[in-house]
Amino acid sequence: MTDTAPAPTPAPYERWEQSPSGLVSLQPDGTVLEANGTFLRWLGRDRSDVVGRVRLPSLFSVGGRIYWETHLAPLLHAEGRFDEVALELKGPDGRLPVLISAVVVTTATGTVVQVAISSARERSRYERELLAARAAADASAARAGLLLRATAALSGAADVGSVADALLRAATESLGAAAATVWVPDAEHGLRAIASVAEDLATSPMPDLDLDLSGNVPQTRQGRVLVPLHGISSVQGMLSIAPRTDAAAEPVDLDALSGVAQQAGLALDRATLYERNANVAHELQQSLLSSETPQGEHFVVTTTYRPGVVGLEVGGDWYDSFLPQDGVLSVVVGDVVGKGLGAASRMGQLRSAVRAVAGPGVGPAALLTRLDHFVGQVPGATSTTLAYGEIDLRTGCLRYACAGHLPPVLVPADGPARLLWEGRSMPLGLGRPGRPRTDAEVQLQPGDQVLLYTDGLVERRDRPLPDRLQDLVTAAGDLHNRSPGDATATLMERLVREGEGHDDVCLLLLTWLG
Amino acid sequence: MDALARSNVRVVGTPDGPPMVLAHGFGCDQGMWRYVVPQFEATHRIVLFDHVGAGGSDASAFDPVHHARLEGYASDVVDILEALDLGPVTFVGHSVSAMIGVLAARARPDLVETLVLVSPSPRYIDDDGYRGGFSQDEIDELLETMDDNYLGWSAHIAPVIMGRPDRPELGEELAASFCRMDPAIARHFARTTFLSDNRADLAGVTTPALVVQCRQDAIAPTEVGAYVHERLENSRLVVLDTVGHCPNLSAPDQLVAAIATFLAA
Repeated sequence: MTDTAPAPTPAPYERWEQSPSGLVSLQPDGTVLEANGTFLRWLGRDRSDVVGRVRLPSLFSVGGRIYWETHLAPLLHAEGRFDEVALELKGPDGRLPVLISAVVVTTATGTVVQVAISSARERSRYERELLAARAAADASAARAGLLLRATAALSGAADVGSVADALLRAATESLGAAAATVWVPDAEHGLRAIASVAEDLATSPMPDLDLDLSGNVPQTRQGRVLVPLHGISSVQGMLSIAPRTDAAAEPVDLDALSGVAQQAGLALDRATLYERNANVAHELQQSLLSSETPQGEHFVVTTTYRPGVVGLEVGGDWYDSFLPQDGVLSVVVGDVVGKGLGAASRMGQLRSAVRAVAGPGVGPAALLTRLDHFVGQVPGATSTTLAYGEIDLRTGCLRYACAGHLPPVLVPADGPARLLWEGRSMPLGLGRPGRPRTDAEVQLQPGDQVLLYTDGLVERRDRPLPDRLQDLVTAAGDLHNRSPGDATATLMERLVREGEGHDDVCLLLLTWLG
Repeated sequence: MDALARSNVRVVGTPDGPPMVLAHGFGCDQGMWRYVVPQFEATHRIVLFDHVGAGGSDASAFDPVHHARLEGYASDVVDILEALDLGPVTFVGHSVSAMIGVLAARARPDLVETLVLVSPSPRYIDDDGYRGGFSQDEIDELLETMDDNYLGWSAHIAPVIMGRPDRPELGEELAASFCRMDPAIARHFARTTFLSDNRADLAGVTTPALVVQCRQDAIAPTEVGAYVHERLENSRLVVLDTVGHCPNLSAPDQLVAAIATFLAA
C-alpha cells in the first residue's frame, strides 16, 4: 500500500459531477443555473431540459412546491439558508424522498443559491414509520382521554334525557360533529328523536330502519354517520351525526365514536331501567295519596302534594285523613326515611298501619306507641316522623301528637297564627323505655284552621330553621283570605319558590267549620 | 384576552402617520415584512402582528373551531384594530391574509379604509369554470409534506444563524422564530387556508383595493389575481415583474412602489 502512488485527484468538475449528493445552483428566483449528474440521473432528465429552463420547485411534488413558495423561499430571502428539509422529487419511477439544504452565496460576480440534495429513501421510510407510530400513539391517547371524559359524563347522567345530553355534548365537542340527534326505539314509528344539538329535532332526518344493528360499527348514510347504541340485551337507540364540513375539520374518528356509543348504550339501558323504577314508585305513591278525603258538615280537608325537583326518586312523604270511628276525624302527615320504591312501599305500610291502629279508645299517644312496635318489624321504617291529630266532631276538640315531626300550625279565625309545640316525642322506633308518648289538646273555634306539612315546605339552605318556621307562620296567617282549596296551593307557591324546593312536600289543611 | 399580546402586535413608524397594517400569510410570520417596513416607516404608523399559532403569538389562544374558518382570523384582526383604536387603516394582506383582510373589511367597513391584496386567492382548488391552480389531491399532498416535516420541523427548519457576520441586519430573536409554527396549528392553518372558498365574499365589498400579483406564481396564478380584480368592485390590478409567491421578500422595492403609487392616487 505504501508503495502505491496516490490516486490522481479528480478535476473539480468531475468531483461536482460524481458527488453522491445532488448538487444544484440556482438564480435567486429559483431558476436552475447548473445541476450535477447525480441530480439529473435522479430526475431522469437531460441537462438541456433542466438547466436555464425550470425553477427548482417545479421539480418537486405539489406539496413540496407549495412548501417551497410559502416556507423555503421566504427563509432563503430572509435568512440566507435552510437545512435538511424533507421533500419529494418527481423522478422517472415515481417520487423520490430527499433531504434538501440550501445556502445563498453572494460573491463579486453575483448571488447564487447552492443546493445540496441527498436521497432519503431509507430514512424517509423509517421516519414515516416513526411518524405513523407517533400519530397512532397520539390518537390512542386522545381517544382514551375522550372516552374517559365521555364515560364519566354518561355515568353521571341519571335519566334518559341527561344521557342523551351527555352523548350529544361528546359528539359535538370531541367527535367532530357539527350537529347530532339521539333517536330511541318507538313502537309507532320505529324511531323517535328525543334530543338534538345544532339542528331541529323535528327536521333531523330519521335513520334508515334497515341499518345493520348487529355491531357498534358506525355507518355512513346520506352524509350522516349513524351508530347504534346497544344496551345489554337490546338496541337502546341510535346516534345520528352530521360531520363538520368546514375547511379545517378533521374526519370523524369512527373508532372513538364506536367506543362512546358503546358506553352510551349501556348508560341508556341503565337510565331506562331507573326511569321505569322511578315511574313505579311514582305511581305507587300517587295511588296511595289519591284516596278520597272524608266529607262532613263540620270540616273541610284539603291536601296538596308537590314532587321534589331533583332526580326522579319519590320520597316517603304522605298525608291521610279518615274517620276511625263515628264522630271522630283523623288527620295525619308523615315522612318515611329514604327515597325511591322502597320508601314508597314503606310509606304505604305505615299509612295502612295508622288506619288500622286508630280507633275507639286509642288516642294519639297510644297510637304512636303501637306504631313503635310496628316499625320494629318493618325494615327501614324506624325514624319515620309523623304528626297525627283526632278531632271530636261534636266539640271541635283537637288532640294531637308529633313523633319527631315539625309542629302543626294553628291558624285561628281571629288572632295570629302559631305553632303547636306540645305533644312532642321522638320519631317512631326511637322512643326510650320510661319515656311514654304524649299528646296535647287544643280547642278549635269555628273558622280555625290547622296545617300539617312535611319538611320540604320549609327547606331553604339560606335561612336557619327557626326563621323558616316563622316565615311559614307569617304566610299561614294570610290563609283566611282564601278558600280552603286555593289556600294550600298559595302556601306552596309562596314558600317553595320555583327551582328551590329539592324535596317532596305534603300539605294537609283542616278547616273547622263548627 | 388582550388581543395585542395574543397576536404579538408591534407598532412602529411615525406616530402621526396614517395607520397601515401588514398581515403575513400562510407559512411564516411578521418577519415577512422586514424589507417593506423600513420603506414606510418615515411616513406611516405601521402595525405588525402574528396570526395565532405563528411567530410570537400566544398559541394557547388557538381554537380549532374559531380558527377553522378565515372569518375567525378576520375577527382576530378586528379585535386588534379595535384594541389599537387607530381609526380606519390601510390593510396590507399577503397570501391568505389578503382574503382575511377582505373578510375584515366586509364585517367592519368602518375600520378598513383601503385594502392591499398581495398575491391573493379566494379559492386554491379548481372548480367548474374556475382555475385556482390546485386539485384536492394536491392539497392533500401538501398536508402530507407538512406531516413529513414534523420530526425535522422544530430542530431544523429555523436554522441556527446566530452570529452571521455577512447578514448583521438580522436580529437573533427573529431568526430563531421565523417560519416556526406549532406543527399541529400549522397543519390546521394549511387546511383552513387551502380548503376555504371565499369567492362569494368578494362581491359587495366597496373598499378601494389594490390587487398585487406576481408575473409567475405557483400558489396564486395570474388568472386568480385577475379574478379577484374583476370581482372586487373598486379595485386596481398591478402585476409585478417577479416570480414566486412572496414579492414582499423577492421584490420589496416593486411592491412598495406599487403600494405608494396606489395610496397617493
